Amino acid sequence: MDISLIVNGETRSASVPAETTLLGLLRDHLQLTGAKLGCDVGDCGACTVLVDGKPVNACLMLAGQAQGREVLTIEGLADAGALHPLQKAFEENAALQCGFCGPGIILAAKALLDRTGDPTDGEIRDALSGNLCRCTGFTKIVQAVRDAARTQRDAAAKRAA
Amino acid sequence: MSQDTKIAEAKIAVQPPSEAELPAHRPAALPAPPSFPIEALVPRAGEQTQAVGQRVKRSDARAHVLGQTRYIDDLSFPGMLHAKIKRAGIAAARIVRVDTREAESMPGVMAVLTGREIPVNAFGPTLQDQPLLASDRVFHAGDGVAAVAAVTEQIAAEAIERIRVDYEPLPAVFDPLEAMRDDAPRVHPPGGNIFMRKTIRKGDAETAFARAYRVFEGRFSTQMVEHVALEPHASIASWDANSRLTVHSTLGRISLGRADIARTLQLPINRVRVVATIVGGNFGGKNEISQEPVLALLARKTGRPVKGVFTRAEEFTATTTRHPFIMEYKTGVTAQGRILARKVRLIMDGGAYCSWGETTLWKACILCSGPYNIDNLHVEAIAVYTNKTMAGAMRGFGAPQVCFAYESHMDDIAAALGIDPLEIRLLNVFEEGSKSSTGQVLHSVAVKDSLRRAAARFGWKEDRP
Amino acid sequence: MKPFDFIVAHDSDEALAVLARIGAGARLLAGGTDLLVELKAAARAPAVVVDISRASDLTRIAMTEEGLVIGAAVTHGEILDSPLIRRWAPAVADACHSIGAVQTRSLGTLGGNLVTCVPSMDGGPVLVALDALVTIAGAAARRRIALEEFFVAPRRTALRPDELLLEIVIPKKSLGKPADFQKFGLRKGQALALVNVAASFRVGEPRATFVEPRIALGAVAPTVMRAAQAEAFLEGRTISLEAMREAGRIAAAEARPITDFRASAEYRRDLIAVLTRRALENARARAQEA
Repeated sequence: MDISLIVNGETRSASVPAETTLLGLLRDHLQLTGAKLGCDVGDCGACTVLVDGKPVNACLMLAGQAQGREVLTIEGLADAGALHPLQKAFEENAALQCGFCGPGIILAAKALLDRTGDPTDGEIRDALSGNLCRCTGFTKIVQAVRDAARTQRDAAAKRAA
Repeated sequence: MSQDTKIAEAKIAVQPPSEAELPAHRPAALPAPPSFPIEALVPRAGEQTQAVGQRVKRSDARAHVLGQTRYIDDLSFPGMLHAKIKRAGIAAARIVRVDTREAESMPGVMAVLTGREIPVNAFGPTLQDQPLLASDRVFHAGDGVAAVAAVTEQIAAEAIERIRVDYEPLPAVFDPLEAMRDDAPRVHPPGGNIFMRKTIRKGDAETAFARAYRVFEGRFSTQMVEHVALEPHASIASWDANSRLTVHSTLGRISLGRADIARTLQLPINRVRVVATIVGGNFGGKNEISQEPVLALLARKTGRPVKGVFTRAEEFTATTTRHPFIMEYKTGVTAQGRILARKVRLIMDGGAYCSWGETTLWKACILCSGPYNIDNLHVEAIAVYTNKTMAGAMRGFGAPQVCFAYESHMDDIAAALGIDPLEIRLLNVFEEGSKSSTGQVLHSVAVKDSLRRAAARFGWKEDRP
Repeated sequence: MKPFDFIVAHDSDEALAVLARIGAGARLLAGGTDLLVELKAAARAPAVVVDISRASDLTRIAMTEEGLVIGAAVTHGEILDSPLIRRWAPAVADACHSIGAVQTRSLGTLGGNLVTCVPSMDGGPVLVALDALVTIAGAAARRRIALEEFFVAPRRTALRPDELLLEIVIPKKSLGKPADFQKFGLRKGQALALVNVAASFRVGEPRATFVEPRIALGAVAPTVMRAAQAEAFLEGRTISLEAMREAGRIAAAEARPITDFRASAEYRRDLIAVLTRRALENARARAQEA
């Protein structure tokens, strides 16, 4: 099956068996190994990527379902020249330990912040409830998302002013 | 880092060719590579300030947030094959026959391996009772019985389904108390199921019980727990032209692992190189080899690198877990709640193999009296085989289990005597110079102070009914 | 997964044509969050997977003369974002919000949840409590049945091999009917329901009485069940907290829970009593807000 989709702003194509998941396409065929295989059944969220702006478990999506869609992986988050505010906040808060959950959690958080500029703690936790982290206990992760949200609000206010 | 020591930003700028410069048939230019300010992670020489109290970024944070950290499964080598291990699915059995012919004939299957081909098919940090692949007997349902290397994971997974194994089922035992009986099925015959004992004798507990105001008994148990590190066990084995083996692995204890790989493959240790990268969580579950020698042999058979990644199901059935414990406590106290004597029996369920069971049994044994001054202590700790997933190292190594028991027991005693649970602990807890259960003299003991401060801080007295 | 072919169906007719041609060897993929889990564990692969996630006639949410129509391939996420649903059947949004996590809801569909048909499904109880109907499309004809009749047994619906679920219809009479959904899981997200309950009723005039009460219970019978005796108890009765409590007790008694590794039957009955009462209380609060 031939597939063509837009990954991190670039058109990418591949010829893959139909049963290939989006995760398999990204990791094995496009060498984008940021999304991780943690459980393969959509329970852990380590494979979270954004498809047309929405967070999905790439392990539960067939590559064919992503045909023509826009996919954002962790590799596409940083702009040339700057880390995304979430990446900066995660770094400054030491929010990650082993880091395996990182790409999935950061993208799930991005999807939240793209919809809600000022999320409550409850909304942050709800948005991340599909992402397991076995190292940290989530406290600094939530703090990092809060910080990133504030950074983005401040930047938007500056632009508006 | 202060402003004046900040290193100037380094920018790498690439100007892509303009549209006019591009020949018509060329694809569009790639976007400019990212440029990030380079910040030193350490202060400049001569500008060192006091280390403690400095705010330092984790050295792995940048790579993590960019998704650039390479875990074992992110690595790929030219010609690499994928391995899968067939799991027994039966808790106890004799292996009568392993028929790999159909799997071997599948297109894309490059090698098959069974336990009989492993030079030394036994390992373990204390007792070498664990096979790499079960060859004559199966000891738990997660035992590997054969392995396959194929050009894709999908083919490897299909191939292990086509391997036919004939088992002669044997009686199995799953409960440690049952396993302790003389007539229980033997997990590792000809020996019995009790594979280790530890005891502590301090003072004279029996005599001291007679003097006690009251004697309390309690029985506590904890369950088997799986680490569920987010990254599954993964390894890649490859040989070079000089018969040197390189193993990239999620393995934590790489020196020990290197020795185990060398011993099981009968290689001189200087021909074995183990490369451990950033691991996606360990918590004790990656403390010993699991599939490395198997992958090495598949790599040798095929002449190609071989990668094996456990499924999440294998993480539960075929990797070490936390030991379940049954803990029986008997404590004699004065009317004020001071402990005069304690007797503990610990039954540690080891699952199918000893693994890190000795360390766990020792820690549980030493710590099961709790951080309390007890002059008369009698501990008997027993490790038992059962036909379940093996227990091994998991953060705490026996400490969390007994902590649950002795603190629950303490609360029960306090409630029965009508004493505040904090007060009874302050009465008994270690102080500077206290002796542990094994006679170690303790220093820098901050327990009482910590308890008091914590109690004040969260309003212990105010919130008590 | 084992190999299979993949076809994209642009509308339900295309999907039905594949079903007619290939029969049981074809599986429909709406969101894939149930299907792919199943296929990863399956001993045999289907011959072909038919992607209906972008089928033009399965992805609408629309108000029609019959009521509020939800296409079978509408995702839980789209339902949460739909102003029509939030206005006319907010409890449906609550139920969808309780499913999985945000990733599941981006892909998973309400229709898929109903078709997978496990006893603990979260999509079913509210729709049953709102007297929802489903439209089923076959190669030759369409038919419409009550949602309650659509659920036949665990993992078995009334769909024939050559049929697909087209739409869910919340009838006009149920639009704006006060309703509430309660779910008890072992955690707040990614949780299977130990039990779930939906309740709806209108408030009678001039005395505030229960009118057309509906109580639907999940995970306590092979399929979603109506607590008919509890409903009969409430019909026409003056609204009171004690009546709601009693309804909860009756619902718990008529539930048919089993004991499994997740919970005992007794515990499930206890939960039904409490959750029924809560659902009724919340429905009452919604009626008062309106």
